[in-house]
Amino acid sequence: MNQSPPSFVGRRARSLRTARRGPARYSAFDLIRRGALGTDWPRSFSQPELRGTYDAVIIGAGVHGLATAYYLAANHGMTNVAVLDKAYIGGGGSGRNTAIVRSNYLTPEGVRFYDRSVKLYENLAVDLNYNVMFSQRGHLTLAHNDSSLRTMRWRAEVNKLQGIDSEVIDPDHISRLVPYLDVSPEARYPVLGALYHPPGGTIRHDAVNWGYARAAEHLGVHIHQYTEVTAIHVESDRVTGVSTNRGDIAAPVVVNCTAGWASTVCDLAGVRLPLITHPLQAAVTEPVKMFLRAVVVSGSLHVYVSQTDRGELVFGASVDPYPSYSMRGSLEFTEELAGHVLELMPSIAKLRVLRQWAGLCDMTPDYSPIMGVTPIDGFLLDVGWGTYGYKAGPVAGEAMAELVATGKTPEIISAFDLARFAEGRLVGEKGAAAVGH
Amino acid sequence: MTGAASRRLPAQAGELVDRSRPLAFRWDGRSYVGLEGDTIVSALLACGVDVFSRSFKYSRSRGVLSASFVDPGCTVQVDDEPNVRGAHRRLAAGMDVRPQNVWPSLRFDVKTANGLVGRFLTAGFYYKTFIKPQRLWPAYQQVLSRFASGGVTSRQNAHGYYDKRYVHVDVVVAGAGPAGLAAAVAAADTGAGVLLVEEEYELGGHLRFSGEESLSTLSELRAQVAARPSIEVMTDAVVTGRYDDNWVAVLQRNVGGAIERLVKVRAGVLVAAPGLIERPYVFAGNDLPGVMLSTAVRRLVNLYAVKPGERAVVLTANADGDAAVADLTRVGVNVVRVLDGRAGETIRRATGRGRLQAVELEDGTVLPTDLLVTATGWTAPTSLINMAGDRPVWNPTAARFVPSGDGLPPTVLATGGLVGDGSTDELIAHGRAAGTLAGDRAQGRAGGGVPDLACEPHPGMFRASTHGFVDFSEDVSSKDVVAAAKEGYDSSELVKRFTTATMGPSQGKLETINTIAVLSEATGRAIEDLGTTVWRPPYAPISLGALAGRIFEPTRVSPMQGWHEGHGGVPLLAGQWIRPDHYGDAAQEARNVRENVGIIDVTPLGKLELSGPDVPRLLNLVYVNKWSKLAVGSVRYGVMCAEDGVVMDDGVTGRLDEDRYLMSTTSSGAATVWEWLENWLQTAHSDWRVHVTPVTTAYASINVAGPKSRELMQRVVEGVELSTEAFGYMQVRQGRIAGVDDCVMWRIGFTGELSYEMHVPASYGLHVWEALLQAGEDLGIRAFGVEAQRILRLEKGHLIVAQDTDGLTRAHSAGLGGMVKLDKDDFAGKPELAWHERYGLATAPRLVALQPVDATAVPPEASQIISSNGDILGRVTSSRMSPTLGHGVCLAQVDPAVAAAGTVVTIRLPGGGDIRATVQEDLAFVDPEGVRLRA
Repeated sequence: MNQSPPSFVGRRARSLRTARRGPARYSAFDLIRRGALGTDWPRSFSQPELRGTYDAVIIGAGVHGLATAYYLAANHGMTNVAVLDKAYIGGGGSGRNTAIVRSNYLTPEGVRFYDRSVKLYENLAVDLNYNVMFSQRGHLTLAHNDSSLRTMRWRAEVNKLQGIDSEVIDPDHISRLVPYLDVSPEARYPVLGALYHPPGGTIRHDAVNWGYARAAEHLGVHIHQYTEVTAIHVESDRVTGVSTNRGDIAAPVVVNCTAGWASTVCDLAGVRLPLITHPLQAAVTEPVKMFLRAVVVSGSLHVYVSQTDRGELVFGASVDPYPSYSMRGSLEFTEELAGHVLELMPSIAKLRVLRQWAGLCDMTPDYSPIMGVTPIDGFLLDVGWGTYGYKAGPVAGEAMAELVATGKTPEIISAFDLARFAEGRLVGEKGAAAVGH
Repeated sequence: MTGAASRRLPAQAGELVDRSRPLAFRWDGRSYVGLEGDTIVSALLACGVDVFSRSFKYSRSRGVLSASFVDPGCTVQVDDEPNVRGAHRRLAAGMDVRPQNVWPSLRFDVKTANGLVGRFLTAGFYYKTFIKPQRLWPAYQQVLSRFASGGVTSRQNAHGYYDKRYVHVDVVVAGAGPAGLAAAVAAADTGAGVLLVEEEYELGGHLRFSGEESLSTLSELRAQVAARPSIEVMTDAVVTGRYDDNWVAVLQRNVGGAIERLVKVRAGVLVAAPGLIERPYVFAGNDLPGVMLSTAVRRLVNLYAVKPGERAVVLTANADGDAAVADLTRVGVNVVRVLDGRAGETIRRATGRGRLQAVELEDGTVLPTDLLVTATGWTAPTSLINMAGDRPVWNPTAARFVPSGDGLPPTVLATGGLVGDGSTDELIAHGRAAGTLAGDRAQGRAGGGVPDLACEPHPGMFRASTHGFVDFSEDVSSKDVVAAAKEGYDSSELVKRFTTATMGPSQGKLETINTIAVLSEATGRAIEDLGTTVWRPPYAPISLGALAGRIFEPTRVSPMQGWHEGHGGVPLLAGQWIRPDHYGDAAQEARNVRENVGIIDVTPLGKLELSGPDVPRLLNLVYVNKWSKLAVGSVRYGVMCAEDGVVMDDGVTGRLDEDRYLMSTTSSGAATVWEWLENWLQTAHSDWRVHVTPVTTAYASINVAGPKSRELMQRVVEGVELSTEAFGYMQVRQGRIAGVDDCVMWRIGFTGELSYEMHVPASYGLHVWEALLQAGEDLGIRAFGVEAQRILRLEKGHLIVAQDTDGLTRAHSAGLGGMVKLDKDDFAGKPELAWHERYGLATAPRLVALQPVDATAVPPEASQIISSNGDILGRVTSSRMSPTLGHGVCLAQVDPAVAAAGTVVTIRLPGGGDIRATVQEDLAFVDPEGVRLRA
C-alpha cells in the first residue's frame, strides 16, 4: 500500500490500520467458552442498508466476488465495497460445484495460476479464521488406454519440470490408494495407469464462501443478498453505477463476478462475451463409512468421484452437450454416471443416489477464463469460468482486487484478457480442464 | 432366542403378518424369529427390541418414529446392503441385519460421550475449530470422518443383477391411497392404459390401518383395480422423478429376479397422489425410543399387530391422533393422558436414559410412560409437482406447504392429501375426477373439472417450549437452527447448508417444515416469506445398480476378430474396439510390408457416407483445405480443425458418384466427427441438402500394403483396371473383390507403401480377408497389426492426430500449414488460423522428426526436450525402433528455436538421464519422395 498508482477509485485507498476490528475468533477454546457460558456467536454477515455510493460494486456473491471483496479490503484497505447477489451467498456455481482443487494443468499460464490458488487455499483457514476443510487427499486421473496414458505421462513430465507434484503411477500403486477400484486387466476399460497429484483434493465449498463473506464483512464490506442488478449505467464509455431491485448505486468500478449469467449481466453494459452456457450436473449418494480417500477422475468414462467426510460419494461428469440455462437434473445423466462408476468400482452397486442437481457453466472457446478490463472504463470482468471456477476462487479474487485497487492488470491474469479473442491469443486448457474440473 | 412375539397382539382386522409362517433372521449377531409380512422393524419390536441405531453426531439411541420408509432411526445394514429402510423392508428368512453407525456395539457406543459435550458441538462447530495448527487438520479429519453415518460397503460385494424397462402409458398414478386408487380406476374407465405405482407392498395407503370401514372401502377399490386389466399395478415401487416431457422414472424393487429395476415411463399424464407424511413435533427428548408419530402407532398395531408400549401419553391435534388413541385403547395400552393440541395443550419434554421413561407437561406434571404419541400435523410431499414446475406455497390454515396450483403443465395433476383434506369419500371423489381428466387428456380430449379439496384448519404446532431435534438423521436441533439464524445464516437455503438440516437420507420429508418454522421463530419472518427449498430428484434414493441397469457397454470387434484370435492376434483395447495389436512379432510384420505385402484389419476407421448436392460445401466448411473441385473417382486427404484452430481429426474422403461421398475419420474420432457434422448441419446450415450416415460397421475395412499389393489385388479384384495409369494414387474405385460386389477401394498410403484400402460389406469381411491371404500365399503375404502399422507410418513420418498433436496444436504446428486455405470463404477455425498464420507462427511449436544420436536409443513417448537450463522446449510424441533402418525414429513437438534441421536436442528421459537426438530435414525417414506409395 505504499505506492499510489492510478486507480479506478481515483483516491488513495484507506490503510489497513483504519479497518474495523476483526470478527469474533473461531477456535476450540472459544467454542468451549461460549458453549459453557451459553453465549451466542455474533453475526457472520447481515443485511446492511444499501448505500447510494460505493467505491466498487461487485456483482455476484460467489467465491469469486467474495474473494475479490475480501482481498480488496484485506490487501488494499478498500472497504467501501458492495457485493450484490440476486439470491443468497454462494447460491450459484459456488454452492453447486464438486469442490475439487488441483493444479496439474498443462499450459504454463494455467499451471502458475492454479498453483497460486492451491497455495492460497492451503492457508485459507488461518487467513479467514474459518475452517474450510481443505483436504489434500490426492487426485488421480485414470488412463484406460495407451493414448491417455501417454497424455498422463506428458502432463506429469510438464508438471514435474514446473515444480508441481505429479507423477504417473501403475495399477498396483493405484490399487493401494483406491482399493475399491477394479484394476484387473479383465475390466471393460482396464486401468493402465494414472496421473497422481498428491496436493489435489477437496474443500468444503460453502465454508469458503462463508469464510470470505464473514471476513470481508468484518473489514467493512457490504454484502447485499437478494439484491439483483437490473441495469449497469455507462456514460461516455465509463461505468457510473448500477440499478438494483433495492435502489440505485453510484460506483466508479463495477466488477462482474457472475457465472451462469455472465453474458446477460455483461449485456446490461453492452459488452459481448464469447460464452456458451451449459448445465453441469452432479449427484451425491447416501453416506457409507469411508472407503475412498482420493479423488478419482476418469476422462474416458466421463466421471469423477470423491467421498466427503460425511461419507457421501459426490459424482460429476462433463458438461451437458447442449447449451441451456436449466438447472434441473436429467435422468440420463444419473444413468450414464452410474454405469461408468460401476465400471470403475463394481462392488458399490448397492449405494443409492440421494440427490442430483445442476449448475451453469459459462464455457469459453479455449477453456480459460476471461479476466480484466473491457472497452467500458471501470467495468471489469472475472467470468467465463467454465467448470473450473471454484479451484481458482482465491487467486482470481486476489488478482481482481489488485486490478480494482491499482488500475493495473496483474501479470498472473494478463493472458486471460477479453481482447485475446479478437486477437487470437487463446490459452488452450481443454486437454487438462475438460473432465478433470 | 427367547421371548418371541412377546409384544405381538392377537389378530388384527387388517394385519399383514401371516402367523403360520415364522421367519428366522439375525439382528446384531443374535437370532430372532418374525412373521412373514413383517418389516424388519416390526419383527424386532414384536420381539421386544426397540433401539435400532445410534445417531450421527451425538450417538443417541434411536428407535421407531414413523414406521415407514422415511424413518431415520430404522436404517440398518442387511447382509451386504447398507442403509436399508428397516421400517419398510419386508423381513426375509435368513437375513443378517446389523445396526449401523455403532462402535463398538449398539448397547455401548464410545461416541456416546459426544452427547455429554453436545452443547459445544453446535451446528457448524467444525467450521470454527481445527483451524490451527494447520498441519494437524488431516489428523482431525481422520477422526471426523469416523463419524460419517451410514452402513458399510465391501469391495468383495457382487455387482448383482439389475434391469431396466421402458413403458409408454397414458396415465401414471403415483401413490395408491384412496385418491390414487380411484384415479387409476377412473382413468382406466376413460379407455386409458394406467400404471399405478405404490411405495408400500400393498395398495391402500392409510385405508389399510384406519379401521373396519376403511378396510371394506379398500377391498372394494382393490376389486375395482383388479377388474380392470388396463391397470398395471406396481407395489414396492416408487416414482422417483418427473423430468421434461413427462419422462417419469419408477424404481421397482425385487422384481423378476432383479434386485431393483428402473422403469422409464413416457407418461401421457402423471397423477401425483402421494398422500401426506406425518410431521414430528420438536421438544426436548423427541428422539427417544418410545416417542412415535400417530401413524407409526396405527401402522404397528393394525398392520403388524405389534403393541408399541404399555403406558401411553398422546398429544393430538387432529383426527388421526384421536384414532391412535382409540387403537391403543382397543389393544389394551394404558393411555394415561391425552393432550389436545387443538385446545392449546402441549407437552414440555420427554425424558429417559436411552429410551422414553417420562413425559413432562407444561404445568410441570411428570407422567411415567414408555410411549409418547404425537399427532401435530402433516407435510405434503410436493416433490413430484415441484419437479414439474409448481412452487409450493405455505397454507397457514392447514399449517403445511401445498401446491400453488400454478406452473403445472396440463400433463401433471395432483390429487388426494397432497391437495387437501377430506373424508374418504371426498378423497375418492377427487381422485376419480382427477383420474377421469387425466385419462381424457392423455387421449386428446379436453376433459371435465376436478372438485375442490379444501384444506382443513390445523393448529400450527411445530415446537414446544423446549428445544429438540428438527432433523433426526443429521442430529440437528432447533437450537442449532436458532443459533445459525443469529449468526446470519437466516434464509431457508443458508440455514439448510449451514446446519445440514434436511440434507440427510429423508431429504427434508420429515424435517423441512420444522426447520423453516424454527427459522421463522428465530428471525421473526413469516413462514410464507421464507419459503421452502427446492426439491430435487430423486424422490426416493435409487441404487447405482438400478441406474446403471445391465450396463450396455458395447465391445466392438470387426468381422475378422475370430480369425485374429485364432492366429495369435494379441488384443489391443482402443476405446470401444478390440483389435489385434500384433501377431507375435510386430517388427517382422513391418519388414514384410516393406518387402512383400501385408494386410491389416482397419475396420474401426470411422466411416461416414455423405450424400446430397451440398456435400462440397460441408466439406469446405469442416476441412481446412479445398473440396469444390474433387472429381468423381478421386480421394483427398483432409484436416479438420476446431474453432480454435486446433487439429481435431483427419482422414480421406472419396467422391464415389456425383452426389455421393465416403468420408473416413480416425478410429477414435468417428463419433465426434459425426456429431460435429450434424451440429453444423442442424444449427448453422439447416438449409443445406446433405445426409450424413455413419457406416463404420456397415463395412469391414482392409488395408493391403507393400510392393506386391498390386499383384495381389489383380488376383482378387474384378472389373477394375488396376494399373498405375488407370487407378493412381489418391483415386477411388468401386467394384467386386473376391466375388463380393459393392466394395469401395481407394489408393492411399499411411504405411508409405503402395497400398489399397478396401471397404467391403461387413458380412463378407472375413471372406475377403481369407481370400486375400489365400491369393497372396506365394507372395509372402502376412497379416500385420496396429503396432506394425504405427512403426511403418512413423518411418514414413505420417502423424497421428491426438498423439503427435494435442489440445493446443494448430494445423501449422502439425506440419499441415500448407493445407490451410485462407482464401476459402469460411471454414471452422478460419479466424483463428488466419491470426495464427500472421502472428503466431514465430512462436508456435513445430512437428519435427528426430533421430537419436545413439542408434540403439528409443526415448519413451512423452519424454521432454529441455534446454541447457532445464526449460521445456518440447516433447517426443512418437518413438519406435525402426526395423527397416535399424535405429530409433521419433516425432516431436518442439520450440521453433530448436526446429531447424541438424539441430541436436537434449531429451530428458522420464526415469532420469538425458540422450541427444538430431532434428531431421524431413518428417519421413523412409522414402521422403513418396516414390513407393505412388508406384
